[in-house]
Amino acid sequence: MGKRPPVVVLSSSSDEDGGGGRRGSSTRRPRTPATAPARVRAQAVSGSRKKPRRESSAGRGRRGSEPAQYDSLKAEFDMLSEDFSECFNDLSMPGSLQKTKELWVDKYTPNSVAALAVHKKKVEDVKKWLEEKMKEPKATVKAIAADLGADIYEWATPVPTLWTEHVHANSGLRYISKLEEFENFVEKIRKYTVLCPTSTKSQRKLTIILIDDIPVTSGKVSFARLGKCLTGLIQSTQVPTVISLTHYHKSESNDTAMWNSEDIESLLQGAGAHKIAFNPVTTNSIKKILFRICKEESCDASEELLHQIAISSGGDIRHAIMSLQYHCLHPRRHSSALSTSTARAGSKSRDSLVPGQVSYGHSSALPSPCGRDETLTLFHALGKFLHNKREISDADIVLEPFPLKENLRRNSLKMDVPEKILSQAHGKVRTVADFLYENVLDFIDNEAVDDAWVVVSYLSEADCLLTGSPIASYNSENMAQLIAASVAARGVLFGNAHGATSRWHTIRSPKLWQTEQSFRSNKDQILKERFDCSRTCGSCNFSDLVTEFKPLERWIGPRNDGPSIGCLAHGVGDSLLGLESLDVDGNNSEDDDEIEDC
Amino acid sequence: MLWVDKYRPKTLDKVTVHDQVAQNLRKLVSEQDCPHLLFYGASGSGKKTLILALIKQMFGAGAEKVKLENKTWKIDTGTRTLEIELAMLSSSHHVEMNPSDAGFQDRYVVQEVIKEMAKNRPIDAKGKRAFKVLVLNEVDKLSREAQHSLRRTMEKYSSSCRLILCCNSSSKVTEAVRSRCLNVRVNAPSEDQIVQVLEFIGKKENLHLPPGFAARIAAQSNRNLRRAILFFETCKVQQYPFTSNQVVPPLDWEQYVSEIATDILTEQSPKRLYAVRQKFYELLVNCIPPESILKKLLAELLRKLDADLKHEICHWAAHYEHKMRLGSKAIFHLEAFVAKFMSVYKEFLVATFG
Repeated sequence: MGKRPPVVVLSSSSDEDGGGGRRGSSTRRPRTPATAPARVRAQAVSGSRKKPRRESSAGRGRRGSEPAQYDSLKAEFDMLSEDFSECFNDLSMPGSLQKTKELWVDKYTPNSVAALAVHKKKVEDVKKWLEEKMKEPKATVKAIAADLGADIYEWATPVPTLWTEHVHANSGLRYISKLEEFENFVEKIRKYTVLCPTSTKSQRKLTIILIDDIPVTSGKVSFARLGKCLTGLIQSTQVPTVISLTHYHKSESNDTAMWNSEDIESLLQGAGAHKIAFNPVTTNSIKKILFRICKEESCDASEELLHQIAISSGGDIRHAIMSLQYHCLHPRRHSSALSTSTARAGSKSRDSLVPGQVSYGHSSALPSPCGRDETLTLFHALGKFLHNKREISDADIVLEPFPLKENLRRNSLKMDVPEKILSQAHGKVRTVADFLYENVLDFIDNEAVDDAWVVVSYLSEADCLLTGSPIASYNSENMAQLIAASVAARGVLFGNAHGATSRWHTIRSPKLWQTEQSFRSNKDQILKERFDCSRTCGSCNFSDLVTEFKPLERWIGPRNDGPSIGCLAHGVGDSLLGLESLDVDGNNSEDDDEIEDC
Repeated sequence: MLWVDKYRPKTLDKVTVHDQVAQNLRKLVSEQDCPHLLFYGASGSGKKTLILALIKQMFGAGAEKVKLENKTWKIDTGTRTLEIELAMLSSSHHVEMNPSDAGFQDRYVVQEVIKEMAKNRPIDAKGKRAFKVLVLNEVDKLSREAQHSLRRTMEKYSSSCRLILCCNSSSKVTEAVRSRCLNVRVNAPSEDQIVQVLEFIGKKENLHLPPGFAARIAAQSNRNLRRAILFFETCKVQQYPFTSNQVVPPLDWEQYVSEIATDILTEQSPKRLYAVRQKFYELLVNCIPPESILKKLLAELLRKLDADLKHEICHWAAHYEHKMRLGSKAIFHLEAFVAKFMSVYKEFLVATFG
């Protein structure tokens, strides 16, 4: 989603060096690189591990015919379709299919321990554990197993049947959820593991079970089922079993707690599993691997390109290899496009001479057609807005075509475009606005009450925008919602012109939520009291009731405890119930630290 | 029982202040065909008293047996189901509710409630299908959409139910709704009328009123009869026999708001703004309507303000009052007003005193 705008930037630059010949198509061209890698990647990730080639080639066939249709439609689209097919030519033509027989990801799956990009110590950990379990010191998850000479039984993710599909098809097939299938699999392993390997001649051959993809569960019931199934497996299995979990989901599903890898983790550990944590693969190791692949494929990718790919992959080695392959498909064009983009990013970072710059530069100056979408936690995003980090001085201002008044000028942001951060954090807009409102005053200098007004007035506008779209539903795609989010975030950034000196702040959860809750319960209570008191249906307007009856009743009523503001104080006063305070300044992720550095 | 409830006229005959209106209403009901009604007038002028008396006139004592319930309405909007909880008072003959409490979802409430009422109509003694009465409070606070759907449902279900609408200002009710109702203006009682009522109550309660005492309460009540009676009773509880210089204790929330005003005037900083926000929260938790807070706060601030600034401050108060109605989180707009005030006031102080 958020990838489109940077790609458009790229189009203008490639137009310059592309020369006159291609000008006609230049406006459309960028679309192809934007969509293509996304698709290829999607195949590799979602497609079944076992047979990626068959599936993806089927996909290619379909895609290959699409441009042909367009072709016949209009001459105007000629250039577009040409580009499109050009891009995939190497893939879709049967002749070239032989050339790139395999996805490199599969081709270069490490076969030995040495080829792994993971830190040696971690490999040792896994190895040691496996050795211990197998009591087979001579033998040494896939790479180790190969070295060990052991068979791997993998839980192959079945093609999921969606419930809606099932309803639609209404065929004789019974609906089997992924969870059920997984249960069956585990059941089978528990019963028959001993039989399988021994049936062949290699009696001594070892088996490892690798479970890579634990079914996603939603709701407590199914989670409990999964948990039971897993603990059963761990406690009873006679074969070494490796379960791999990813943390990636955690940041993705900010508020929907449907997948909780932490819960599973603690559950597994509780059942006696041994935990080995892996960090994301470092940029350097990815680069090393990419180099090796380049050498073996004998394609000449510049070091800068590899660097760019390695950085933008965000520690996802599969993704890095996929994008490398994509680049090598059509080296001429993409290398030029990418090199311009890297040159730009490079020049920028050279100016400010901070190496850390690259770390956020990779997402801000991301004109390369590859790179995965980063996700942020809500608090991380809030921290960015609230801390409002800016360049110390900005030379660009001189170049501004429309010089602004002094009081409206701001140094440029040391972060992505706010809209992009918002989309990465994908929280509900209302939540973002509430959090910003609750916390922003802490970040404003105590002298700058004008700034406070600017900020709050923007938030007030944002509230009106949010309310203006009543049937908002929960998808943040709604236009008014997006605008409101933008107004809130940018208002906070713009308004806070004289930020308070940086110090440690906690982010409070909005007290507003509590207030609204106790407001509702108080209201019910007041209405009830009034009704009990009068016994007739003669309640008056609620506002009159509260502003006139209540306070005077306190004087008149039997429980005459005097005039007290104390009476007002039930509910909000002291406790910050609900969310615990969260730490914005750091510790949320490494990325944050990098920002602090510069 | 509070005097306000105790001395509220239960039937149209006993209405004293607006006896002329009451007469007309009685005639209206006796002719059996009652149109939709719209009562409007200032707060504490007797709209509700008239409505209740009218309902009693229509249905007899049965209308007095009411129950309070919090009903949850499930509304299917096509894409998803909304759940709206609303408090309502109902007897077998009528339902009273405040649809504007549902916020921007009020239009669904209006449609849905009326539809449901139309479905189960009571049958009167003669076996004829009678109509039910729906009393809607604070119609002027309904959103425009809700008022439009109100108009449609009024036409569609006019055979099965009668609406009695009640609001402070008829100017905020759309023309279409107004023209479909018989408009009844209930003006605020004059101070003389209030004095009469207070003296009547005093006689019934066997109290001795010093001369001028009732008049002082009446003056303080701002032509709000309910408030006058409440003040009167408060005075009685505080000190009896009355003394002629007795003061009515201030309302606690108003006192609290004037404290906020003092806070704002003594220091203008984000930190103080945050402290003020906490006080606002406290008022809001206690259900003080944000509009009232803003109004009172403005009045308090204006009292201590230089004349040069008054105009500007009023402008901003109006601005944020408007925003408050457009938006849904009143606190945002209240705080924006306070922040603006601080900003303006600080600038003024710096310019004046350096």
